[in-house]
Amino acid sequence: MSDDGGWLNTYVNSLPERRWFQFLSKYVVVPFWVWRDGKPKLPGGPRPSPQPSDSTQRMMNLLMPLKDPSPIGRAKAVMALAQNVDEVFAGLDNVGTVHSARFLLIEDHICMISVYDGDFSNYIRDFISTIGSVFDALMLVVEGGDKLRPCEKNVEAFIDWVRDHDLFQAPDFPVELFALQDAQIGKKPNDPPHAVESLPRSLILQLHANRNISLGGGYRGYPGYSAAQIRNKLGVGW
Amino acid sequence: MSEIDAAVSPTKDFAPQNVQGNILRGYRHGKVRHLMLEVSNRDVARRFLAASADGTQKDVPRITRSADWSRDNPLETCFNIGITFAGLRALGLPAEQLATFPSEYAEGMARRAIKLGDFGQSAPENWPSPFDQPDRIHIVASIYSNDETAFDTVEVQVGRAFTILGTRNGRNLPDDKVFFGYTDSISQPRFKHVFDPDQVGVDEPKDPLGTVLLGYVTHFEGVEFAIPEPKNVFRDSAFNAFRVLQQNTDAFEAYLSKAATELEKNPRQYELLPKGAEANINGGTNRHEALREVVAAQMCGRWRNGTPYELSPNSDVLGDLSKTNYDYKFGSRCPAGSHMRRANPRGGPIVQRVANYSRRLVRRGMSYGPDPETGEHGLLGNFIGANYGAQFEAVMCDWINFGLQDPEITGTNDPLLGANEPETSVFYLTTSTEHRIRLSGFPRFVIARGGAYTMLPSLSAIRYLSGLKG
Repeated sequence: MSDDGGWLNTYVNSLPERRWFQFLSKYVVVPFWVWRDGKPKLPGGPRPSPQPSDSTQRMMNLLMPLKDPSPIGRAKAVMALAQNVDEVFAGLDNVGTVHSARFLLIEDHICMISVYDGDFSNYIRDFISTIGSVFDALMLVVEGGDKLRPCEKNVEAFIDWVRDHDLFQAPDFPVELFALQDAQIGKKPNDPPHAVESLPRSLILQLHANRNISLGGGYRGYPGYSAAQIRNKLGVGW
Repeated sequence: MSEIDAAVSPTKDFAPQNVQGNILRGYRHGKVRHLMLEVSNRDVARRFLAASADGTQKDVPRITRSADWSRDNPLETCFNIGITFAGLRALGLPAEQLATFPSEYAEGMARRAIKLGDFGQSAPENWPSPFDQPDRIHIVASIYSNDETAFDTVEVQVGRAFTILGTRNGRNLPDDKVFFGYTDSISQPRFKHVFDPDQVGVDEPKDPLGTVLLGYVTHFEGVEFAIPEPKNVFRDSAFNAFRVLQQNTDAFEAYLSKAATELEKNPRQYELLPKGAEANINGGTNRHEALREVVAAQMCGRWRNGTPYELSPNSDVLGDLSKTNYDYKFGSRCPAGSHMRRANPRGGPIVQRVANYSRRLVRRGMSYGPDPETGEHGLLGNFIGANYGAQFEAVMCDWINFGLQDPEITGTNDPLLGANEPETSVFYLTTSTEHRIRLSGFPRFVIARGGAYTMLPSLSAIRYLSGLKG
């Protein structure tokens, strides 16, 4: 974009609002760039970090597509959880690293939204060994879930599946997207450095691969403490 | 009839002839040479593997099996191999089978760096040759012997089939010590169905074979780790994290002195170590030396001679105490942040209540160096288990570093092994009261200098790989 006057600059700056250009972008420009420089899907969940405080209160936004999104299918999903509610609460207690967790039915997905401490795969693995039966019940109503049942016998595949369905967490600082895209295709990050004006294109291409994303890692109302540290300070036992 | 036949109960399916010999029990040889190999000619490499599994060809070393183990007549030289994911590809394993291997293994150690704490000084970018080109390392072959000439003989034989990218020599230090001065390898998992004379009388719960071998029941109730395809071939294999770990002993000893000097000025030092207890440390020593040893003992969880700190906080004399039989509890004298307690919290209180005993690893290591030029010295370690994510990585990222298992240490790293920086490092010493003494300002004492994720394939897997076509 240019701030200089002149009719050409004014016209070019107005392109994103023009219907013909929007049409062209949607059906020609974006598909062309997807073909030319498509981005692989970026993995879901928080990324490992050398900073210990990044390892507490991590966000999970797990979108599981329903096999049958009709009211009957949705009711089955509700029942799958309702019949296991005691196990879920007992499991959350025993895993010990969960701040909060909830299940939502949104559009064609059943979603598990949770905040937990430490490594993602340890969290899921401990969950499977504690309340595997609940995930088995859930996988009955979820698209692609059949080949993951029973979860206890398919731990690695189940963890990979969850990572694949957990939302990619876009970096809080948008330019960091470049490094993630480089690393995903096995390139040394930012070598050579990317032109910052190509960021919108990279973002659009990424949103083509990761349709649903988390905008940043999420907001914390207090510094990174583990659930156990909070329970310990409150004197309610960990 | 070898001892193992009597030692292994007739468990259905367990075949010690099919398991490499360095997994279930440690060898007793004093020296090791690891060869980092690249498959430069697929056919030659396959022929070597076939002959090595077979073991009848004179100029090809025979893979040592678990069944070869004998207390009284150990083999003079043992030979074992680990194969990286890049190695499987180089040997021609088809893509649809490669896809059945776990993702940690497929990525390889260098790409798991952040999770393992390998950043800063330990970052793979700083690893020396041959570990600066991790994708070229296809096989890590290990030769164990007491006789150094055996290393050269075997190395020549191996070199006819592979490009040798680099070697690392290791040796046992006297009295099973490591360079930090501790007696090592005291506590190991012990397996159901496997007799290990070193572990007689240990009272920790026995570990199921699935802790370390693919295809068996694991410590997680009901959980089985996936066996790559074809399952009947890769069953009895194990996964190994081979690590070259430099030990910065000068910095460690200097820090102990600094900490002891500070503690001598601390009015609560007698809650840490009562007056007069110096007589029971190191055969009797002065206050400063004794305080150094207390800091070393609390950081590790053992006095340097191996006596557990938990059982004996004021003396390093073992006496009638057991080196292995004890447990941790709330208020233990062994700090929750100590190296041993982080690596194996035993039955003690941890946040992840389901995880006690579930992340056990087999550790086999020998010391290396000092290098005549640089003085670099450390440990060549093998950390063996059935699943990287559930064991090695789980321990490294949540327990050794970060300390998620106990809210009193969360946010701190292992004082010996952790990814510490002087600006942020913290370690709390326990005392005989509830008061804890805070130590800080120590650097990273152990620096990663290389390594690889390798599979220790079963004998049937080695034969299968050697028979690949194309």
